[in-house]
Amino acid sequence: MRVVIAEDNVLLSSGVELLLAAKGIEVPEVAADGPGFVAAVRRHRPDVTIVDVRLPPTFRDEGIRAALEARRASPGLPILVLSQYVERVYARELLADGGGAVGYLLKDRVARVSEFVAALRTVAAGGTVMDPEVVAQLMSGRERRIDALTAREREVLTLMAQGRDNTDIGARLTITGSAVHKHIGNIFTKLGLPPEEGGHRRVLAVLAFLGSER
Amino acid sequence: MRERWTAVWRGLRYLLVNLVCGLATLPLLPFAALPAAAPGLRRWAAWNRRRAAALLGVPAPATGPGRWWGVEFALTGAVIGFAAFLAAGRVVAAPVWWLYPADRPLVLLAPVDGWGPALGFGAVALVLLVAGAPPVARGHARRTLAGPADLDRLTDRLTERVAELGESRAAVLDAHGAELRRIERDLHDGTQARLVALAIRLGVAREALGDRGPVADLLREAHEGAEDAMVELREVIRTMYPPILADRGLGGALAALGARCDVPVELRLDGTGELPAALEAAAYFIVAEALTNVAKHSRASQATVRVERAGGVLLVEVADDGVGGVDETRGTGVVGIRRRAAALDGALRVSSPHGGPTRLVVELPCAS
Repeated sequence: MRVVIAEDNVLLSSGVELLLAAKGIEVPEVAADGPGFVAAVRRHRPDVTIVDVRLPPTFRDEGIRAALEARRASPGLPILVLSQYVERVYARELLADGGGAVGYLLKDRVARVSEFVAALRTVAAGGTVMDPEVVAQLMSGRERRIDALTAREREVLTLMAQGRDNTDIGARLTITGSAVHKHIGNIFTKLGLPPEEGGHRRVLAVLAFLGSER
Repeated sequence: MRERWTAVWRGLRYLLVNLVCGLATLPLLPFAALPAAAPGLRRWAAWNRRRAAALLGVPAPATGPGRWWGVEFALTGAVIGFAAFLAAGRVVAAPVWWLYPADRPLVLLAPVDGWGPALGFGAVALVLLVAGAPPVARGHARRTLAGPADLDRLTDRLTERVAELGESRAAVLDAHGAELRRIERDLHDGTQARLVALAIRLGVAREALGDRGPVADLLREAHEGAEDAMVELREVIRTMYPPILADRGLGGALAALGARCDVPVELRLDGTGELPAALEAAAYFIVAEALTNVAKHSRASQATVRVERAGGVLLVEVADDGVGGVDETRGTGVVGIRRRAAALDGALRVSSPHGGPTRLVVELPCAS
């Protein structure tokens, strides 16, 4: 797997490179700003990209803009955005084109090496990965509708929104695959969503519900 | 000797005119508060104060009279003037005591019935007049001029000082806000980045070493400690200066707040332009707290956030169509908003009758 990184902080980028090297993942280029990143993507055609939200020159949200621009140039380009803090408007902007292959994580999560690499692979494979904090923010904004769900169903919903599959969810909650399947069916019914879809599309359906303007 | 008599005459004349003018001022006083009367009163005061200045031989004052000038002048002018009138009257009347009818004699300190008491009382009155009139007149003239002028100088100084303090306060707040923004940057891009880099290395080391043995335990503790520190750091930054404000400005940050609220929020942001960082942060936290209240208690179906800058005031309004009855004494939301507003010399108004709607308006001064 080949990864292009957009990160201006050398300390961080060297850390991420070190981590990826330990997992046998190749990093052909680390770009220090938005335009450099877009050019690097064109040059290397990576399997997945890692982008810091704050990049030079203003250190505001250049990373998000650069990611969206690179994605317009190469539709479907998998992007994992790392941020100092998570804000659901950023999640919504990243998810807006509905193409999947998007991740949005706090920088802290990188330190959970295996989980981070798993998330990276999910995004590379076209999946959607949302930081638990984003999911929490989305859920907290929908308390009334979410109230209809049982505690267990809420746990399942949170894990689903993070992009985990049924097997993974079952393992984490120590319940069987068929129980997971039943919970998901109930969730979709209670939230009034169309019948369950597979893969990242169901994540998108859930996130779209959570993030939708009424 | 002649100068002495001139001084007495001038003092006496000043005091007698004061008697007339003071009595004339008395019935005007009730109208002094009327705006229409102000110019006339100012001219009247200026004329009297020119007389006082002429008596003292000093230039007429450049500043206007004080607020209570009319009252003071009317009362002191009339009372002192009347005393001077009495004294002068006795001096004049004493030599002609014999003109009074025998059954209603001239009364000075006692009834006058011969030249002896007449000249005696007359002399006492004359001495009082000669000795008293000039210093009393000058004293009164100084008071008429100097008192109000002092007050004016004090008022001017205070006004100036208040303006200075207002400016320096705004400058301090501005610097403080900018400093918060800088610290947020430093913490996020410096300290947090270092922590993440450290945690990554610990994570890689843990994976390489496996999870057995005393070293693995130490590594795990260090790794988890670093993660806890990152969570705490993020929380500290968030309550100090919202990072979205630095990244997206007030409009973007408020839109993010609205999107996070359970109740649909309509955002109206009118020409706020460039605002001091402290003001932006205050507006952000105020809207955040207000929207939390709306989501928690109002049962509203729609909320409106309006931020507007007009005439040196930043207006922040959060309204909803909920059940109302916001009670400031219960819960900390409104109290927190009031405190934030007060810290910036602003004010909060809450209108929330039972049954709704609720309207919360914060006005924050901002130099334009």
